[in-house]
Amino acid sequence: MKNGRPVVLIVEDSPIIRMSAVDLVLSSGYEALEAGDADEAIRILELRDDIDLVFTDVQMPGTMDGIKLSHYIRDRWPPVKLIIASGAEIVAESMLPGGSSFFSKPYDEITITEAMANLLSSESTHTAAV
Amino acid sequence: MPQLPTAHFESASTLAVVMSSNEPLLFLSDDLRIIVASASFCRAFEIDPASVPGKRIGELGDGEWAMPRLASLLKATANGSASIDAYEIELKRPNQKTRQMVVNARTLDDGDLDHIRLLLAITDVTEMRAEARLKDDLVRDKAMLLQEVQHRVANSLQIIASVLMQSARRVQSEEVRGHLHNARHRIMSIAELQRQLSTSAGGSVELRAYFTQLCQSLGASMIADPERLSIEVKVDDSTVVADVSISLGLIVTELVINALKHAFSDERTGTIVIDYQSSGKDWTLSISDNGIGMPDGDDAPKAGLGTGIVEALVKNLNSEITLSSGNPGTVVTISHREASGLRADMYSAA
Repeated sequence: MKNGRPVVLIVEDSPIIRMSAVDLVLSSGYEALEAGDADEAIRILELRDDIDLVFTDVQMPGTMDGIKLSHYIRDRWPPVKLIIASGAEIVAESMLPGGSSFFSKPYDEITITEAMANLLSSESTHTAAV
Repeated sequence: MPQLPTAHFESASTLAVVMSSNEPLLFLSDDLRIIVASASFCRAFEIDPASVPGKRIGELGDGEWAMPRLASLLKATANGSASIDAYEIELKRPNQKTRQMVVNARTLDDGDLDHIRLLLAITDVTEMRAEARLKDDLVRDKAMLLQEVQHRVANSLQIIASVLMQSARRVQSEEVRGHLHNARHRIMSIAELQRQLSTSAGGSVELRAYFTQLCQSLGASMIADPERLSIEVKVDDSTVVADVSISLGLIVTELVINALKHAFSDERTGTIVIDYQSSGKDWTLSISDNGIGMPDGDDAPKAGLGTGIVEALVKNLNSEITLSSGNPGTVVTISHREASGLRADMYSAA
């Protein structure tokens, strides 16, 4: 949270999709941060402690894809919520960290908005439990 | 001249049959000495034919056939306690690539129980296995390539949809925003088809699954109150080729958008039903609603882009569209009859 607004980190290598995702996050009333790959995302997560949700693509260049990144985040920053989007139709639920939401591309922006709202609304109870 | 292990002599014809076998064969006595080897065996495994008779199998060549497993299986076959059926072994020779072999062994069933003899057939499957592996690799490569293409298509459609939505969030005019949303619905309709195709075999699409997903996605973004409005899909077990399904999907998209926008404008509750039934090559698709019905005369709406898209696709599918009153509401029926389709062709060509 920053000034009472949830902070969302978008991880996406395609600049146009990333730009639109930032726009979507901002128009939902959240703070938006962006990264072009998993390594950059981890650097940002290490620098800030106010990130509430990571919205990541799966297929990305770099040392980790979105699935590995999401596991890494779940492991190292457990309270951070996760939304994963992929152009691959079948990403088995079992491959993803528990509690994360998966959407196949092209995603419906309304569905993403709802998923963000749902995950962020459960935040207070989650952090209280940690 | 090596000494024959037994005083028993095989008939000349038996020996000749073994020797001339096209498949590498070894004819063995029950103490696993070789009575005769086929010329094909000696050729395939580079063994001097003259050196063979009377030798134990393990003594062949440079000892590369001295495989304890093979000897024990042959012994068991000779005393009847086991049989060798397509048993796989590897032949390792110095300075040569390991060969994969399939061996089969039988006792010779000629009624002579005092002299058990074995027939051992050896097939070199190295090339066959390599080919099978190559084929598996090709199939895997093709699947990976296809997956890569699907990723790219999905990503490209995401870029287009994202840009449209970004524009929609920025524009001031309600009308323009509506057009941008419609454009995005059309793209999502094609994306849904792509998704269905990526999980289907042979490029055919199950219409029920496709329409159900399509309507779910339309409903999710266009219906604010699911208690008030719903979309029902009643489709038989039809599967159609990709080209036809993309047209049907776009028609359903246009007509559902149209019904959601205009049929329930007075906040009434209602349902839109998508029905598709086929019989042989004939099919009927109908989209009906129980809304306010189509205004006519001067109140009739001007045909928009959606109408143009539907008309073009209907024509392309050699089908006919009819509009009727649903009492209440509107029913749009698109039907394709194999015979009438031909007439339409002739008509348009004239």
